[in-house]
Amino acid sequence: MTTSKSGIDMIVAYLLQKRPDLTTIDHDLDLIENRILDSLGFVNFLYVLEEQTGREIALEDVTPEDFRTVKSIKARFFDAATDEN
Amino acid sequence: MTATHVEASERLRQVLDRLVAMSEDDYYNPYQLFQWPDSLPQEQYWMSPELMSTHGVRAADELTEQQLWAISKWESVNFYSLNVHGIRELLTEVISRIYTKGFEDTSEYFHHIIGEENEHMWFFATFCLKYGGKIYPDKGMTLADGEEGDAANFLVFSRLLIFEEIVDFFNKRMGVDERLHPTIRQVNAIHHQDESRHIAFGRQIVALLHERLRDTSTAADLLRLEGYLKRYLRTSLDSLCNPAVYRDAGLPDPYAFRRAVLADPARVELESQILKRTVGFLVSKGIFTDESIPAS
Ligand SMILES: [Fe+2]
Ligand SMILES: [Fe+2]
Repeated sequence: MTTSKSGIDMIVAYLLQKRPDLTTIDHDLDLIENRILDSLGFVNFLYVLEEQTGREIALEDVTPEDFRTVKSIKARFFDAATDEN
Repeated sequence: MTATHVEASERLRQVLDRLVAMSEDDYYNPYQLFQWPDSLPQEQYWMSPELMSTHGVRAADELTEQQLWAISKWESVNFYSLNVHGIRELLTEVISRIYTKGFEDTSEYFHHIIGEENEHMWFFATFCLKYGGKIYPDKGMTLADGEEGDAANFLVFSRLLIFEEIVDFFNKRMGVDERLHPTIRQVNAIHHQDESRHIAFGRQIVALLHERLRDTSTAADLLRLEGYLKRYLRTSLDSLCNPAVYRDAGLPDPYAFRRAVLADPARVELESQILKRTVGFLVSKGIFTDESIPAS
């Protein structure tokens, strides 16, 4: 699905915009360990993710591991969503 | 302990004695105090219009008064929901410290804070459930990036103080705004009354913890904590604008609307009013080296 591809690209673009010191983010890079995603930035990030996936995300349904890498975000929120539809 | 620490501790003890006495005098039964009508009128503001996220914002120019009323309703439910979740954090942190090392002098007053906050949580939650049918969920997640020891204590009480001061900015104004329904005014006025004590305490303990921290921390450590708190301020301000509020009020593109609100110069102006006292305090105590707060 082309929308989910551009969706994850938007997510990466958002993260890069928050970290001007980086030019790319490897899809296997640990976002939490590298402080690309942290507690204080989480809610705004979640809203970008909600907007890009078109659905509200309930915290009961997710764990920090879902946000560990771009790959895990893609698998959990974009690919899985496509499968369900 | 250096001489200044002894003085600061003595000052804290005096403040604590005064606050405990005030809490005892002001004690009330929240379960009997409030008037809870079955419903509140929908065709009026539930929040002071000047305090709404939409105030003066260009993206809100085209909205009808009907839409603004709806936003004011859901935005007030969001505000009280933030209180419910903020109090959960406060209670958790205070309870984990009461009668532990370093908090011998403050434990007596902690009982009052815990008791009062339990009651605040109850009346805020009651308002949300009765008039909004829900509490907006907390969307925050902790991603293993905290401080430890004295720095953690300092950050916890700083966060609580910042949270209480931001809330109080709204309570103080909404508690006396004659345009608002009496129940709305009452909830805000009662909370403002209790919080003036909590804020007095918060300022003392935050200043004291920072004084102690200065002896054991490097300049880089202190700057890191300052940076953290400034980002916490930013996150707190942003949380007042919830896309779920705009969605519930029927706006077609809630996320884009939120982005427009956060980027609007009118928002920046309201934020600087909200933060004025708090940032002024933090700068005066040397906790902040300047007044700048990061953009959203
Ligand atoms: Fe409170
Ligand atoms: Fe409080």
